[in-house]
Amino acid sequence: MSATTLHKVSAAALALALGSALSMSSALAADPPADKEKCFGVAMKGKNDCAAGPGTSCAGTSKMDHQGNAWSLVPKGTCEKTMSQTSPTGFGQMMAFKEKKS
Amino acid sequence: MNTQADFAAALLDPAHPCPAGLVAWNGSDPASRFAVYRNNVVVSLVDALADTFPVTLATVGDAFFRAMAREFVFAHPPRSPLLSFHGRGFADFVAAFAPAACVPWLADLARLEMLRVEAYHAADAEPLPAAAIAALLADPGRLPGLRLRCHPSAAILRSSWAVHSLWEAHQDDRDPSAVDPCRPEAVLIVRSGFEVATVGLPHAGAAFIAALKRGEHLAAAAQAGQSVDGGFDLALAFATLLHRQMIVAIDSGPGGQDNELHT
Repeated sequence: MSATTLHKVSAAALALALGSALSMSSALAADPPADKEKCFGVAMKGKNDCAAGPGTSCAGTSKMDHQGNAWSLVPKGTCEKTMSQTSPTGFGQMMAFKEKKS
Repeated sequence: MNTQADFAAALLDPAHPCPAGLVAWNGSDPASRFAVYRNNVVVSLVDALADTFPVTLATVGDAFFRAMAREFVFAHPPRSPLLSFHGRGFADFVAAFAPAACVPWLADLARLEMLRVEAYHAADAEPLPAAAIAALLADPGRLPGLRLRCHPSAAILRSSWAVHSLWEAHQDDRDPSAVDPCRPEAVLIVRSGFEVATVGLPHAGAAFIAALKRGEHLAAAAQAGQSVDGGFDLALAFATLLHRQMIVAIDSGPGGQDNELHT
């Protein structure tokens, strides 16, 4: 905001950068496509107010008793497959570990 | 009123007894009918979250994600009928969720995915034609004091983790385990037409765009980029703005003038 800030990045530097960006982008792309039209009533999947499909039928009932023990699960497929710089094995582990210094 | 409050409370608390006064059409036990209904409510909310956070889900697996989402639904039931935005508090929830602690980038992945939904639903704005921007070069002396207003959908995420690479690896079936998650990354999310773009940015460029979004004038925004990285490539940052058609207005008022420029 202050005048000193204004001087650090000069008008000339800004003009130079903007000018080269403009020439880059005109080389890159022509005008934006004009073949699009507005379309209402197209909601993203699953984002309508009442969900359709399995969740609304009694088919979901079987999941009812599942919640309590969920936290004994470890994120499936993640832990031991993802690189970790702090882990002694180099990958995530199923149990807490002491971070190594990297 | 009391009946309604009781019904609502029982919906999200499996330990809560079946509300009094319910009758099943076929004479069966209302408690078991209510349990089915309660389950459907929760399952549909969890399904909606699974749709909002597909990469978060893929990262931890279906069972873990659904169990975590279920806890979120109980702790943060929707406050609005617009389920698109129910996930707004999810990333913070994930960050504080102890069982997810061994995947420390999970919360930022969720943040990235929520920003994509926000961008999808953000207001429309016509980008300025390149000619209008090129016209600024006629008077370079004004450039430092100009404010470039970004498209309402534009958002910046700066993460301590390689969330953009991880997210991208999930888009085209590359192996996410080939990505080193511990590299900090910055991401730009912006919509053009109906397409939400998710673009990896240099950190300095991200700081520049974040400053523009805060309503800083060009000189201050460029300075913000330089303070992150002395080698800040301002031309590249401008090229990103142009290429993504992010500039929707130019405000030239003096510093004191109040321009409302958030989101």
